Amino acid sequence: MNTQPLKNNLSSYIIQTHEEEIKRIAMELHEGVGQSLSSLFSGMQLIETAIEQPAMKSYAGDLNLLLEKTIQEIRHLAVELHPPTLTTLGLISAIKSYIRLYTSTYGLEVELENHGIESQISDRVSITLFRVCQEALVNIARYADTTKACMIFKWEKSRLLIMIKDSGKGFEVEAAMNKLSGLAAMCERMHLIGGNCTIVSKIDDGTSIEISLPLY
Amino acid sequence: MEFSGGSKSKEDQTFKEACEHALEEMNCDFVGLALQNSKGPDISWHYAAGNSNDKYKRITVRYGKGIAGKVISTGRPMKIEGFPNNIHGKALEYPIMLAENLNCAFAVPIHFKGVPKGVLLVGKRTDQPISESDQHTILDAAEKLEKEMNSSI
Repeated sequence: MNTQPLKNNLSSYIIQTHEEEIKRIAMELHEGVGQSLSSLFSGMQLIETAIEQPAMKSYAGDLNLLLEKTIQEIRHLAVELHPPTLTTLGLISAIKSYIRLYTSTYGLEVELENHGIESQISDRVSITLFRVCQEALVNIARYADTTKACMIFKWEKSRLLIMIKDSGKGFEVEAAMNKLSGLAAMCERMHLIGGNCTIVSKIDDGTSIEISLPLY
Repeated sequence: MEFSGGSKSKEDQTFKEACEHALEEMNCDFVGLALQNSKGPDISWHYAAGNSNDKYKRITVRYGKGIAGKVISTGRPMKIEGFPNNIHGKALEYPIMLAENLNCAFAVPIHFKGVPKGVLLVGKRTDQPISESDQHTILDAAEKLEKEMNSSI
């Protein structure tokens, strides 16, 4: 009995459930906890202005600063868990936003090119593409030892092509595929949405990742 | 930047020289200085010596995150040996170690008006840990910087 389709369905279900849960937590943090803290912050500001005793006023000011920091942390955490622009503004917008965060976190510059008109894709497909691109960029920051990377999106009539290139130190693909679960997971994720992921790398000559997805 | 007691160019010169001097004086490969931004709690790497690229200039970490963020939030020194092993959390949470290919590091806080506002980090690209004497040297360098900055208020 061929159990491959069943295995694929199961992997797909696990990944989708996982993503839905991440999205739910991100929403809860942003809309629930974040909103409650914002209300508390407004109330605290009002209380601070009404306090006349200098020492207490200063203490209330410190508490407000701490509250403001916490609200920012919650917002950052929510965005890191699930990019809110992915559903509202689309894949390219979410990738642009992620690249800004990526450059300010790892110091690596990413040149983004977008050719063609962005097609409408389902939430499941767009989060998969986003996660695969995210994994590719994170691997560059972690292993490539380079200062620049390039990302090209080509929206064709019947397919989407994404190329992620760096001129870093490269690696042996076969050995890395067995060792690094992240690379294998990228290919597996693409496979589960009917796409393909090809990794080409050469020692001292950089890495190129090509992702293709049929568009119907 | 947070420290603006003296003129900006004089501060630049002081910080840059402190990094270069520390690199010369110690058996290390990299010295970096991070400061908390004047607006918001984020921390950026402003000065470096022995750097292998300019990635540090673009790295900004949040308060409590990364080595710089953790040292500023706790106000205590932090030591890393054999990176990426023996660390709390993921290697990706240590961007300066990745950017400069460091294996070992020792980072100390720099206080301004009694509050930690900066970080002086010394790092090595080999597995040899930062020696006790080099740890003292970096603590002394941070103390000297503190005095200079606080006296220029």
